[in-house]
Amino acid sequence: MEFAPLLMFAVICIVLVQGYPVAFSLAGTAMIFAGIGIIAGHFDAGYMNALPDRIFGTIGNYTLIAVPLFVFMGTMLERSKVAEELLSGMAAVMGGVRGGLGVSVILVGMLLAASTGIVGATVVTMGLLSLPTMLKKGYDPALATGTICATGTLGQIIPPSIALVLLGDTLSSAYQEAQLQMAVVSPKTVSVGDLFVAALIPGLILVALYLSYVLVTAALRPERAPPADIAERPQLSTLLLQLVPPVALIITVLGSILMGVATPTEAASVGALGASLLALMRGELSVARLEEVGLSTLKTTSMVFMILIGATVFSLVFRGFGGDEQIHALFNAMPGGTTGAIAVVMVVIFLLGFILDFIEITFVVVPIVGPILLAMGVDPVWLGIMIAVNLQTSFLTPPFGFALFYLRGVAPASVATADIYRGVAPFVGMQLLLLLMLAQWPQLVTWLPALLK
Amino acid sequence: MGAIKNLLGIIDGFTELTGRLLAWLLVLLVINMFLVVLLRYGFDYGSTALQELSTYLHASAFMLGAAYTLRHNGHVRVDIFYQRYTARRRAWVDCIGVIVFLLPFCGYLLFYSVEFFLSSLAMREGSSEPGGLPALYLLKALIPLAAILLALQALAEFARSLRELLATTDKAQ
Repeated sequence: MEFAPLLMFAVICIVLVQGYPVAFSLAGTAMIFAGIGIIAGHFDAGYMNALPDRIFGTIGNYTLIAVPLFVFMGTMLERSKVAEELLSGMAAVMGGVRGGLGVSVILVGMLLAASTGIVGATVVTMGLLSLPTMLKKGYDPALATGTICATGTLGQIIPPSIALVLLGDTLSSAYQEAQLQMAVVSPKTVSVGDLFVAALIPGLILVALYLSYVLVTAALRPERAPPADIAERPQLSTLLLQLVPPVALIITVLGSILMGVATPTEAASVGALGASLLALMRGELSVARLEEVGLSTLKTTSMVFMILIGATVFSLVFRGFGGDEQIHALFNAMPGGTTGAIAVVMVVIFLLGFILDFIEITFVVVPIVGPILLAMGVDPVWLGIMIAVNLQTSFLTPPFGFALFYLRGVAPASVATADIYRGVAPFVGMQLLLLLMLAQWPQLVTWLPALLK
Repeated sequence: MGAIKNLLGIIDGFTELTGRLLAWLLVLLVINMFLVVLLRYGFDYGSTALQELSTYLHASAFMLGAAYTLRHNGHVRVDIFYQRYTARRRAWVDCIGVIVFLLPFCGYLLFYSVEFFLSSLAMREGSSEPGGLPALYLLKALIPLAAILLALQALAEFARSLRELLATTDKAQ
């Protein structure tokens, strides 16, 4: 039965690409394996008893309440068209400059990072909002689609992102487990807030890289990012009126977390209520709108937590078959020690990113490899940020990157798929550059959290 | 077929109703959580009961909302191939998925969680925190209840996929 864990991974990959919902595929496949194992006498049925307790742990998890609250905030901002106006407002200010439209897409993408934790949704929204405008103003399709794909995945790493909430929570349990194994007397903790703070510098480096790429391209090859004619420049006061409230809201939420004033959960509730007030001020809030946002939030939240439960069943069975000990042995035998183990995990996660979204990888892979890597002495916060940037790169990489599929879905037929691939290539390069920088200088991640503590 | 169609309508309608109810619980969650923050930072007052209410609202939504999410095809799929499948092939995937994965999962969840809930109910288990809510068993009831709602909607989805399969076979003949 030593091959069972490996076989589980192979089978789940085959099952998942058939397209049945991930949450139930994970749980169902694991149960079939457990069933066969129990009949063959190689699996202790007692492992299956642990599920209600595990689910109850998730039910009582206070940190994860931030998930529906952030989703609510993002959905409210989107449905009340705040995002749309933000983009057109910024474009009006900066559109007159070479590359100005591209710059405003990146900046709005960065500010709206909170909106969704799902790559697809962000890329689709950004694609629908900005691609037609960019093409109409004469942008090179490759540059336009590359910018949009990259910006759409930026939401994974720029706080407050749902991806980081989930990753932070999972890493925190993995860290507890690792320290328990090492019999650490006074275990340290890692929180979602730590991850938010740590993500700030890498996120800003990425934004700076994106911005300079667009600006340099516009300067060297003006025909690829032409300035728009400034036919109707809006009044500065109207513009400020549009821009200031949503930007202030996002800065308040983020600032209170970064300064350690509020926990992510608390800040998220302020964000959700604030977004509703913004909608109210714009006359976009009604009973029907509240219900609509509630329903949409319900679907996203339930989807996330069902994957968490499905992944819990999967890892219970995986452990029941001794899978974690096998991975442990494998990592210890790895040439290059800890560095080798990290490199392998990063490659595996990168490849998994071609078929799985952030949520699934966080819930399936991190609980299995996390405790082992952390017990080898890897810094949990650094590991989290490396995983996040790595996944974001995976989502952008042709031909399987998630973001590319989603943008293809909303891009007009006049944009060739090859254009999209050509367009994202430089952004993938920038992502890899960041990954190398973080590997070389971990202080980029660890400096700010240490400073604020 | 008529009876099945009626039953389908009833299940769908019921799930729809739970969804709308749970959506409002989420709106309440936003307000309640903000209240917790306001009381803590504005009035330096921490209410365990209000904090726990947040947990109850949040947990009810994500557990019981699974059925509504299924009804609206909101559970994420790896759709690289699925999105290019014909309607018939999708119906096959969904039919088999319900039988092989979803219903057994619901059964497993129900089987192991009923005892978990009943033992908590028998001793009227409350919060372990002073000033907490007295009905922890309600929170535990969410697990079997979610399994039942999800199974019900799974049957409806199965019937829908089956109808798609039968309808296209008829046309082919």
